[in-house]
Amino acid sequence: MDLAGGTGSLLRRWWHWLLLLAGVATLQWLFRTVDSFPAGLDTFFSDPIDRFARWSQANRRTHWLFTTIFNPFSDAVRVGLNSVESALLWVPWFVLPIAVFLLVARSRNRLQAVVASLAMAYPGVVGLWEVTVETLALMTIAVLFSVLLGVPLGVACALHQRVNQAMRPVLDAMQTVPAPVYFVPMALFFGIGAVPATMATVIYALPPVVRLTTLGIMEVPSQAVEASTVFGASRRQTLRKVQLPMAMPTIMAGVTQTIMMALGIVVLATLLGAGGLGQEVMATLTQRRTGRGIATGLTVVAIAVVLDRVGRAIAGMDRSTAPGRMVTGMAIGGVLSLVLVGRVVGWIDFPEMWDVKAFDPIDDLMDWIRDNLRWFTRGMNDAVIIWFYLPVRDFLTETLAWPVLVFGTAWTGWRVRNWHLAVFIAGALTFIGLIGMWDLSIDTLTQVVAAVILSVVIAIPVGIWAGQSRRVEAALGPLLDAFQTIPSLVYIIPAVTLFTVGVVPGIIASVIYALPPGVRITALGISQVPEESLEASEMFGASPRQTLIRVRLPLAAATIMVGINQVIMMVLAMVIISGLVGGGGLGFETVSAVKNSDVGIGFEVGAAIVAMAMVLDRLTQAGADRFRPPAAT
Amino acid sequence: MTIGEGQSASLEVEGVWKVFGQRPDRALAMADDGRSRAEIQEVTGQTIGVRDVSFEAHKGETFVVMGLSGSGKSTLVRCVARLTDVTRGVVRLDGRDLTAMDEADLRQIRRDKMSMVFQHFGLFPHRRVIDNVGYGLEVQGLRRDERHERAERVLDLVGLEGWGDHYPQQLSGGMQQRVGLARALVVEPAVLFFDEPFSALDPLIRREMQEELLRLQASMHRTIVFVTHDFDEAIKLGDRIAIMKDGEFDQVGTAEDLITRPATDYVREFTKAVSRAKVLTASSVMDDDAVVPASRSVSRGTSVEAIIALLLADPEPIAVVGEDGERVGSVDRSAVIELI
Repeated sequence: MDLAGGTGSLLRRWWHWLLLLAGVATLQWLFRTVDSFPAGLDTFFSDPIDRFARWSQANRRTHWLFTTIFNPFSDAVRVGLNSVESALLWVPWFVLPIAVFLLVARSRNRLQAVVASLAMAYPGVVGLWEVTVETLALMTIAVLFSVLLGVPLGVACALHQRVNQAMRPVLDAMQTVPAPVYFVPMALFFGIGAVPATMATVIYALPPVVRLTTLGIMEVPSQAVEASTVFGASRRQTLRKVQLPMAMPTIMAGVTQTIMMALGIVVLATLLGAGGLGQEVMATLTQRRTGRGIATGLTVVAIAVVLDRVGRAIAGMDRSTAPGRMVTGMAIGGVLSLVLVGRVVGWIDFPEMWDVKAFDPIDDLMDWIRDNLRWFTRGMNDAVIIWFYLPVRDFLTETLAWPVLVFGTAWTGWRVRNWHLAVFIAGALTFIGLIGMWDLSIDTLTQVVAAVILSVVIAIPVGIWAGQSRRVEAALGPLLDAFQTIPSLVYIIPAVTLFTVGVVPGIIASVIYALPPGVRITALGISQVPEESLEASEMFGASPRQTLIRVRLPLAAATIMVGINQVIMMVLAMVIISGLVGGGGLGFETVSAVKNSDVGIGFEVGAAIVAMAMVLDRLTQAGADRFRPPAAT
Repeated sequence: MTIGEGQSASLEVEGVWKVFGQRPDRALAMADDGRSRAEIQEVTGQTIGVRDVSFEAHKGETFVVMGLSGSGKSTLVRCVARLTDVTRGVVRLDGRDLTAMDEADLRQIRRDKMSMVFQHFGLFPHRRVIDNVGYGLEVQGLRRDERHERAERVLDLVGLEGWGDHYPQQLSGGMQQRVGLARALVVEPAVLFFDEPFSALDPLIRREMQEELLRLQASMHRTIVFVTHDFDEAIKLGDRIAIMKDGEFDQVGTAEDLITRPATDYVREFTKAVSRAKVLTASSVMDDDAVVPASRSVSRGTSVEAIIALLLADPEPIAVVGEDGERVGSVDRSAVIELI
């Protein structure tokens, strides 16, 4: 082939790289004098929203929108919260642990029943029962709303293609957006307190129940539906008598997930002024009492354990194995008489046993670590800040002209998926810049990148290890469970104690928060590789290392990328939350906007976070697809 | 084509046991006392996968292990290939004890001497066909161009020329298993293991693949251990066949042995539906004593089907001759009719 043809094919092969190079160079040169993103729409959103906020503040007691809709609604929710709370406090303290024991022992083994019962008693034992009850009330009402709203929505999605198409992007967005973003609009409509916290929890926890209801109904075999139709059932009858009952296990799985999501957020909801465990965690955070923070965090874990075991006990109840009606009746009668006895004797409140002070030795340990491992914590702090955070942030905001970043990211989107994604990314990033959130977003992005790199470097090797050994996976299981259930705020406490306020504790807490899904999904991908592929590799004389590199990892790559996607989304959520401890960036703005009811700014920051979350999500999902082997034809 | 006559190896399997569970010693002790598989399962919770199996696959022989699902045939082939460790017993390849080998030696002997074709193909979806076929060469450390050259030659051999750049899942089931076959052949193995390789294929494609394997084996003479649940496939491909049930061999023999002298009712059950005329030969229908005068003769190995054709043309009895041309017996219409 002649030289011209050679360069021609080279050009054809590399032209997209050349395009990137040329684009970057041109844009960098053209915009070399421009400092930052021209925030042309800086006040475009915040002004009208602020105006509406002021108006709503002024008219809260007079305008019909509030007097006939929001306020009565708020009142109803408040009544609900209060009644659940007082009902739980009315019950004598020893009744719930016993009831939980009986319920779990009925269909599961004794040991689990004892564990669940102890977990039920835990909040009272550490003297947090009253606070826990506040949180439980909030959760109960929020989950109730989610189910009442979510199941019909899910049914509508399953039955009407168009509703489904409209809902899907909304649900996607709801699941990618970090929770604090919901707080601002809630504050706008419901003010501050337990009611907006409940509503924010409803929105946050809604997607799983909708999704799984839709899935459950769509999964009902078409033959069952046809059979029902053939017998002359109306659509409503078919839905009630065939589709819903057959979808029930899936719907219940959705409800369980919704409950867990709600549990994950109720602590954070304290930012909106809800009391309960969240407030307690915040207090320990400001006092940097790691021990008490952990004690409080474990309350949430205990609730999760109780809900999980009781949920499984109810789901696993099978007429053939369950004890007869007599036994059940006696158990219920027994519990009721316990309630009666407790009330009559006046043995109602938890006796004072311990309280959270019992966990104070952990503080001493943390102090000891802080004092004696200062060389390490300080060194790590400085390394992250001086060698990574500051240079990267400054490079992205100062050295690089903003159009270069927009172009480069859009180019990546184009390469991993198509030009639709490129246009979407360019639009989203431009939007962030125009509303004046450019520098804050880059700041947050830099923290996200640092935390993601650290998480991935830890999670992937551990996940690969766990994926190849059932024993390792079993050993890691409970630890990862605990990491996933302990409220994210709790992680920040030791991080702040060790690393002082700033960017680093947020990054550390984000890493801890994001590790479990990273490890789990990697392990899943590794263990899902078909046995036959591994046998084939072994049969051809491949060493375990060769099999890992040539077969296991490539086949698990797409799943591992999904794990990285999860890690990124969780890190983003946590970096936002770490605005509480001086993390800076969008997080700090969100937190202060919620605290100061600075609604306009709050909306803008929220919009920037949403845009960033969607860009990161779509990019990594498209990236994951690239790792999938081509589909069968 | 390079895959011609070449190395081949003998495979000896001696008293192999496989027990699944945490305490195989207890199960073995009970088994030695003569307890049944079900009993042992009941008492110890251990499952006996393979129970005291011995056989020898000679150089160039196709040895078929036939059994229904749960009979332990797949476990057996995995034990022999040492994809799982045997609980007790010895497997020897050309006299070398596979069961006692460490990982490194085993790996080396796999690279040099063995390969396998899997039931669900076991292809790698992330690799193109050519890189699937070249996998064995790749782990041996061969250079890319050499790998590709050899892989392409074998792809031609199995009728897949020009498909190297596709991904396996883009091919039909039959073609996928041709890739599996090519991948196994390219390393020029002395022993080939087939774990129900054609059971996932349509009947027509299955027959086509069986013919293909017979054609290849006719020129390469490798030692083959072939596992199947299909008795017709077993008699078509196997020089000798082992019928496996509950982890044990019920009977080992040629197709003719099994049909004419089934050792158990279980074996008889399988042979019932077989078209005897296709499998049986002159030697099993002939009358040894009656050296009747005959103008025509056939060899001992002639199938009954062919003899029927001759007898239809001319009802006179036919002489049967041995290898040296000496007359050993005769076949007439009544003998054939009795058989069928």
